[in-house]
Amino acid sequence: MTDKILQTTDLTKQFGALTANDEISLSIDRGEIRGIIGPNGSGKTTFFNTVTGFYKPDGGSVHFDGKEVTGWKPYRLARRGLGRTFQIVSPFKNMTVRQNMLAVQTDDGRSREEKRNRAEEIMEFLEIDHIANNEARGMSGGQQKLLELGRVLMLDPELVMLDEPAAGVNPALESRIMDHIHELNRDGTTFVVIEHDMHVMKTLADSVSVFDSGSHITQGNFTDISQDDAVREAYLGGTTAEEDGVPI
Amino acid sequence: MSETTSVTNRIPGSRRYWYVGLGALMITWPIIFGNFWARIGVGALMWIGLAQSWNMIGGYAGYLDFGHGAYFGIGAFAAGIAMVQFGYPFVVGFALAIVVSIAISYLVAVPTLRLTGAYFAIATWAFAEAVKQAALITGITGGTFGLSLPRSPDTFIGVALPFQIGETFFYYAMLMLCMATMSLTYYLFERHEFGYRVKALRDDQDAAESLGIDTTRVKRQVYVLSCVVAAVFGSVHAWYIVYIHPNDVLATIITDRMVIMALLGGLGTLTGPVVGGLLVFLLQRLSSVFLGSTTFYLPLIGILIMITVLFAPSGIIGILRGEIDRNDVRQNVKDLGEKFNLL
Repeated sequence: MTDKILQTTDLTKQFGALTANDEISLSIDRGEIRGIIGPNGSGKTTFFNTVTGFYKPDGGSVHFDGKEVTGWKPYRLARRGLGRTFQIVSPFKNMTVRQNMLAVQTDDGRSREEKRNRAEEIMEFLEIDHIANNEARGMSGGQQKLLELGRVLMLDPELVMLDEPAAGVNPALESRIMDHIHELNRDGTTFVVIEHDMHVMKTLADSVSVFDSGSHITQGNFTDISQDDAVREAYLGGTTAEEDGVPI
Repeated sequence: MSETTSVTNRIPGSRRYWYVGLGALMITWPIIFGNFWARIGVGALMWIGLAQSWNMIGGYAGYLDFGHGAYFGIGAFAAGIAMVQFGYPFVVGFALAIVVSIAISYLVAVPTLRLTGAYFAIATWAFAEAVKQAALITGITGGTFGLSLPRSPDTFIGVALPFQIGETFFYYAMLMLCMATMSLTYYLFERHEFGYRVKALRDDQDAAESLGIDTTRVKRQVYVLSCVVAAVFGSVHAWYIVYIHPNDVLATIITDRMVIMALLGGLGTLTGPVVGGLLVFLLQRLSSVFLGSTTFYLPLIGILIMITVLFAPSGIIGILRGEIDRNDVRQNVKDLGEKFNLL
């Protein structure tokens, strides 16, 4: 077992003349929570999409859990333990919460009964078991975020990539989501999180990677990053996170 | 309530009597009502089954297949060719319909399911037209002359049976096929994880892929399954009507009817195609029998489709379930009124 759960080397993705990801080399340690920040259009979501197989890279490589997985289809990566959520929450609206959970496909040899039990456990853990028979379209935005996280957990993932998990969520639910992420992390799950909310990033991330104009410009702990001149210029509008109201 | 609870325990007491009554009526239908109504029953059951087969790919998976009728014709000609050109009994033709429809639908699925929306609809429609034209110019299908199938007591399994192969026989054959189709749909699409995956890819294909679902494989499986069901009904229909012609069993209207039935009843629901299939078929048959018009039902269907699309997109089943929001209906009426300067 390697210490690096995810490693990208010179990962490049272009859309015509636009280089959305420009030779991004990044490695994520097993068991850490890595934050990714950067202005809109800096290539964060493209990076997620390229790593998880939704985009075919134009250059570079992706290694997951010690194995090269460049260009693998998303479902293969998911079954291998790389889970992700989307910026725009995407529950299967015409299905119940339980059916959403059971739709997840793994190839770990679990029986139907074991899978159903696992779904019940996860719904209980995320405190959405009381709405298990409700259709997903009737859920609030926050509950849909929890459902999305729950579905990913059905994969028993080694690494979870979350795209703005706190966006559009009320503070109480945001705190619940953060608690769940911390608890799962303590149990060994690695997280990579894109988030614009600096409070969340400070609370959550062990280290932060900063993207700008398709490049990975720096990496470090939250305090160092928030005082880095290049980061302040690119993302924080020339102020520090502290000046922006985030206590450091 | 647990997913594994038995079906009978889920049915409320008062409804159970209705289901038992309905089951008894269906079983005794040709005995009570005679040949004419048995014939109506054969048609109704066949169209319910066909609408359900289209509902699998069009409703549950969300792929608008406008070439589905081709498989009805392929099944009919597979049975016809086996019986007429090679002298085999019907059961061989029936098996051939299954094998041929699996092979053809898989070959069609590989390129066409890469497309979505209108592109998929056009590609499948073009495929159906190509099949029809090919059948018209090919000798083995009888070309423009069609095929006349034999229907003596020994043409079922190859040995003479002690009963007539008439309306009653075909009623029970269609009843069994229809019940098998309904049971398969219920189990696979409403209770099994396979159905959840199909609905998942319909709702959000990217999200489905990210959750370990091989959407390409699932789409192909649903497409092939739905086509085989249509072909099976086609093979029995061919033997039932005895004479088949490409312009009849490969007509575009066959697909159109399946789509209309599923849409009117409720897309992606178990009972929608039953309600829609019965309604459209009975409107058509009864208007021709009692009003003497074979086209009177068409404007009625047109009006019903407009009402459904505008006011009840979840179909008649949606209305019965109370899923239609009155405010939405009011808003739609208002929008229409403003559009046509009526308000």
